[in-house]
Amino acid sequence: MGKTTHFGYKQVDVEKKQSLVKGVFDSVAGKYDLMNDVMSLGVHRLWKNYTIASSNVSNGDQVLDIAGGTGDLTIRYRKKVGSTGKVILSDINNSMLYEGRKNLLNHGVIDVDFVQANAESLPFKDNTFDCVSIAFGLRNVTDKDAALKQMCRVLKKGGTLLILEFSKVENQMLEKAYDFYSFNLIPKFGDFFANDEDSYQYLAESIRKHPNQETLKTMVLDAGFEFCEYHNLTGGIVALHKAIKA
Amino acid sequence: MFRLAIEKTLNHMINANNIDIEHIDNKIISLKVEEIDLSLFFLCMNSRVFVLDKPQNKKIDVSIVMNKAAFLSMLKGSTIEELIEGEEIEINGNIKTAQQLADLLVSSSIDIEDLISQYTGDIVAHQLGRAFRQLKEGSLKNDGSIINNLKDEITTALIAPSRSRFFKRRVSK
Repeated sequence: MGKTTHFGYKQVDVEKKQSLVKGVFDSVAGKYDLMNDVMSLGVHRLWKNYTIASSNVSNGDQVLDIAGGTGDLTIRYRKKVGSTGKVILSDINNSMLYEGRKNLLNHGVIDVDFVQANAESLPFKDNTFDCVSIAFGLRNVTDKDAALKQMCRVLKKGGTLLILEFSKVENQMLEKAYDFYSFNLIPKFGDFFANDEDSYQYLAESIRKHPNQETLKTMVLDAGFEFCEYHNLTGGIVALHKAIKA
Repeated sequence: MFRLAIEKTLNHMINANNIDIEHIDNKIISLKVEEIDLSLFFLCMNSRVFVLDKPQNKKIDVSIVMNKAAFLSMLKGSTIEELIEGEEIEINGNIKTAQQLADLLVSSSIDIEDLISQYTGDIVAHQLGRAFRQLKEGSLKNDGSIINNLKDEITTALIAPSRSRFFKRRVSK
């Protein structure tokens, strides 16, 4: 085995991680929104609202929603950029893009571009976007540093990067309850609602392997951003990192 | 949340009124209000304002320090020069830049509840609006607590709306 990386708690060959993650998302795509509601008890909508509120996206802006999946952030961005703005929903996974396209059509949103792309090598010119966001996607990226550099590259000067991701719970009591919930209940929910326990076991594990708030902040600054701050939501279960390219 | 509210409102004002902020582009302005432990850093870039918690080792172009009374007075329309004359404010850097920020802040507070509600939902907006009005009307009696109370209220509203007082009131009707 050559260079390895983590896939949940397993160590796998770096080149294999992408296909393993693809397998997870191919499996969960059809039930993705339902499972988000079940697992977070609907709170993911508030986390996303907070992300949108933090974005400063306005009329005429160019927005890239990486790992946009079923498009719930894209729908919100589309409303904010108006007819002169542009929103691109990108995802590495074809099944998720398919679900996203379906979801956007169901919401009457048609003026969005869909791009199947790897966050580690974004197919966009330098200094293109006013805002780049990635919600619950970064932890699945194999080379996070490369992805963050790409995000910095495609942002305009003064552009905003938003990373909404599971993070490190601040309170020990909450952490214990959250661990119990993550490892005992979430896989069962996955089995019951999506007939897929393994993918949701991976979800719980991948969250624990993701860098904590401060580490991610350092990674963002190292990628070329001048400013980065984070805000913990629901006690740090989720954190929103907001960075500015100067 | 307080920073976010200010940032959103300023940017809304800039967009809605096509305010040109090029003259303060790429500048970091620090605003510190003593007594209520309010410390904000404003960064202007890409035709928008970012309100930061810390300047992150970057050079501050203009530093403004004032007391609570001066802050309230500024929100009610007093100019920076008037505050300087009254020795209620300390400025390090370009006074014109400080005045431009003050003008933005004053204009942004006019309809804060209405403006914020467009972005964050009514529960959050109501609580932010109420707190901001308290601040503007000078009804802040419990020194130092407003920002923390505001943070608590908004966090509660954000992550557990059913527990917010405002939500309960609406349900009970």
